[in-house]
Amino acid sequence: MDEAMDVKQEGGQSLKGLEGKYLTFALGKEEYGVGILKVREIIGVMEITAVPHTLPYVKGVINLRGRVIPVLDIRLKFGMPVKEYDERTCIIVVEIYGPSGPIQVGLLVDSVSEVLNVTAAEIEPPPAFGTHLDADYILGMAKVKDKVQILLDADRVVGKGVLETLETV
Amino acid sequence: MAEKKTVPEILDDMALKILMIEPGDLSVVGELVTLAEQLIGSQDGAGSPALGQMGTVFLDALGKIIMGELDDSAANFERLGKCISQMQEVLRKEGQAGPAEIDSYRAIMQEIGLEVDRQALGGGGPAAPAEAVAPAAVAEVPPVAAGSEAAAMENLPDFLKDTELLSGFIEEAFEHLESIEVNILELEQNPDDKDIINNIFRPFHTIKGVAGFLNLTDINKLAHATENLLDDVRNDKRAMDAAVIDIVLSVGDYLRTMVGNIKEVLQKGPALYKKFEISDYVRRVQAVQEGSSVAPAQESPVPRAVAAPQAPASAPVTPTVTAVAVATASQAAAAGPAERHPGTPAALPAVQKKIGATIKVDIEKLDSLVNAVGELVIMQVMVKQNPLVSAISDPKLTRDLGQLSRITTELQKTAMAMRMVPIRQTFQKMTRLVRDLSQKSGKLVDLVMTGEETEIDRNMVDSIYDPLVHMIRNSVDHGVQPPAEREKLGKPPTGTVNLRAYQKGSAIIIEIEDDGHGLNTEKIRSKGIERGLISADNEISDHEINNLIFLPGFSTADKITDVSGRGVGMDVVKKGVEKLRGKVEVVSTPGVGSQFVIKLPLTLAIIDGIVVRVGEERYIIPTIAIQESIRPQRDQYSTVHGRGETLLIRGHLIPIIRLYEAFGVKSTYTDPCEGIVVVIESELGKRALLVDELLGKQEVVIKSLGGYMKDIKGVGGGTILGDGRVGLILDLAGLVAASDARD
Repeated sequence: MDEAMDVKQEGGQSLKGLEGKYLTFALGKEEYGVGILKVREIIGVMEITAVPHTLPYVKGVINLRGRVIPVLDIRLKFGMPVKEYDERTCIIVVEIYGPSGPIQVGLLVDSVSEVLNVTAAEIEPPPAFGTHLDADYILGMAKVKDKVQILLDADRVVGKGVLETLETV
Repeated sequence: MAEKKTVPEILDDMALKILMIEPGDLSVVGELVTLAEQLIGSQDGAGSPALGQMGTVFLDALGKIIMGELDDSAANFERLGKCISQMQEVLRKEGQAGPAEIDSYRAIMQEIGLEVDRQALGGGGPAAPAEAVAPAAVAEVPPVAAGSEAAAMENLPDFLKDTELLSGFIEEAFEHLESIEVNILELEQNPDDKDIINNIFRPFHTIKGVAGFLNLTDINKLAHATENLLDDVRNDKRAMDAAVIDIVLSVGDYLRTMVGNIKEVLQKGPALYKKFEISDYVRRVQAVQEGSSVAPAQESPVPRAVAAPQAPASAPVTPTVTAVAVATASQAAAAGPAERHPGTPAALPAVQKKIGATIKVDIEKLDSLVNAVGELVIMQVMVKQNPLVSAISDPKLTRDLGQLSRITTELQKTAMAMRMVPIRQTFQKMTRLVRDLSQKSGKLVDLVMTGEETEIDRNMVDSIYDPLVHMIRNSVDHGVQPPAEREKLGKPPTGTVNLRAYQKGSAIIIEIEDDGHGLNTEKIRSKGIERGLISADNEISDHEINNLIFLPGFSTADKITDVSGRGVGMDVVKKGVEKLRGKVEVVSTPGVGSQFVIKLPLTLAIIDGIVVRVGEERYIIPTIAIQESIRPQRDQYSTVHGRGETLLIRGHLIPIIRLYEAFGVKSTYTDPCEGIVVVIESELGKRALLVDELLGKQEVVIKSLGGYMKDIKGVGGGTILGDGRVGLILDLAGLVAASDARD
């Protein structure tokens, strides 16, 4: 059984550990999920102040009840075509580990779907190819109710992005 | 890049540390070691081998001071200061050390007691300097040190068991020691005030009790001995005099070092634990208690067999009795620190000076309160401006909205005020400094403080301390003349240093004024010309000349002390003040004295800014840097081949920075003559920023852009504007540097 698990996972991360609740959201035709424990809140899209000398997908900063937090456009990050923001567009505020403690970052997504309970049996390791995504961000694929959810590692999606920003400055 | 200090900065830091060091203060020596290591590291490879070698020798000297092989006396630190000046001199010569520098560096090191092989500083040979110096290092390491080291390791777990209790004790002890110092200085002024003696007695008692409870036997013993001495003083068994004050002060310092060490052990691991030798201090305290004034114990150690006939009531005087004392103390401690020592009866519940009750609040909670209140204000405005709401013409609603906005404004003010603390504590530390300095230099100096109740931002308190110490030192060491000289000049023999703080508009002013001989403007002028800072035919006012002392070129101690006796590392002061977004100036009248004026913003959280618009975006320019804003005329505009565009404003050619270009945003105007230019002053000179429109002046609350986004060139932070959107605050130094780099 253990061996079977080992064969199944390539990233070295136990799929069992991925069990739990995920907040799912839509980007284009695909459904993605991010660990519910990472999510702080979901807000509607608001006016974003652009910050110069940052990568294109770093849309800028917003005022989250007195705190200034950066917002990333996940579409741009994943190389998808730009879509106009509408009333379904949301900012998912996630908390990730920064070098000096937790930091909050907003992720712009097309729309938020639901909270899903994903069991280990439903999770498969990320495919080695056949996707336009950098597999680094993907924890695994979940098949729930005949739909495939791409489970994302919020820390990697954000962390890598903002670190790149730093390097370009 | 941002983390790494440049070589001049390291040397500046070292110079500052060495100026502030006190004998026995090993934590500062530790910081110096770190800096020296950085210096050596920065000289590897491309750097100057001479500087690297000088740094290595310096590090060696520091190491010996820590090991106790060299004296950690004030004189030695002064010599080390000279060594730093030498290194700065070498740096100015671009790392080329001539034989003269090498020789004098060696000579100073020899004075300190460190033999330096000429090879080690040869400048050329790749011979590892550390090894070359090594033979000198053989100076026998006392075997005791090794023994106590081992003992220390064994001791360690004993009191490190309960780190939570211990860290509580550390904080508390520091507070107590501070109040002891403040009170003892007050006692010096009113020696008969029993209340003050009680105020000193009580913290010692608490420290003793808790230290015993935590098994910190050394601290316990030392505090106990001092407590006994104070008990005698309180019961009129011994007169209050200078000897008592001196010993209590130095015991306080020593305790602080000991507690500081424990703090380090807690933070960085048990390897740092150091065994402190307290018997010396205990003997001195006991000697004072008996009335004989045996000051420095190493010169005339009190015979161990001295009994205590004069002080029968106080328990321990001889080492034999000390054991008993410890037993009593631990009993007291076991019953909790609040338990009163049996030997200290009714005097304890003494009248304490009436002070307002305070509570300690986590700074994070405070910040989130301030945030929430800021949001409340914004939301309140937005509700009020909602077209539907403003269409209602109900007098009651109008009245209620007015009341609401008054309450929110009040709330905001209070929230802001909670961050402010009186400057008193910082000032009081200066009393001690002036006392020590005047004793050391044989001068008579009175420190007169006014406006201690002036409030400054809590975050500023620590950062303003160093510059203040620096300037006070300067005033006492170099400003005020010795008594004899003062009398000759018809001045009172006692010099006065005035330390004032007050609020002026939205700024805090701190003034340090002495009645010494003032700056020697002529000498500064010639020095300035020599260094190429000003030209000989320039017509510059004396005031401007005097302020040259804040330039880095004037920082070397022996350079300027020879000429005018002024300006030691004043550029360090300037940098420190500018970090707080403040300004510093000097006003001096020859023969009458000089006055340093520091101007600081009320709080670090708020900045006065001009909101400008560029296309859709709004930016905030700090008002303090703005000179003027104009709509330029066609004939003012010119392009300089290869150097970009300039505007001729009041006879100066000022380079233009197009903000929309610098930030890559769309703007309404691209022609400078249609938009508005804001002339700003930065470290790199004046620049004209092209913007579309000025939207107004506003006080804004500075917010960090959060997480990783703080290192963006040209952006110093963000703020929430009146409509709830984020506006970016410009970092002019970064903006100018970035645009210069592009050109």
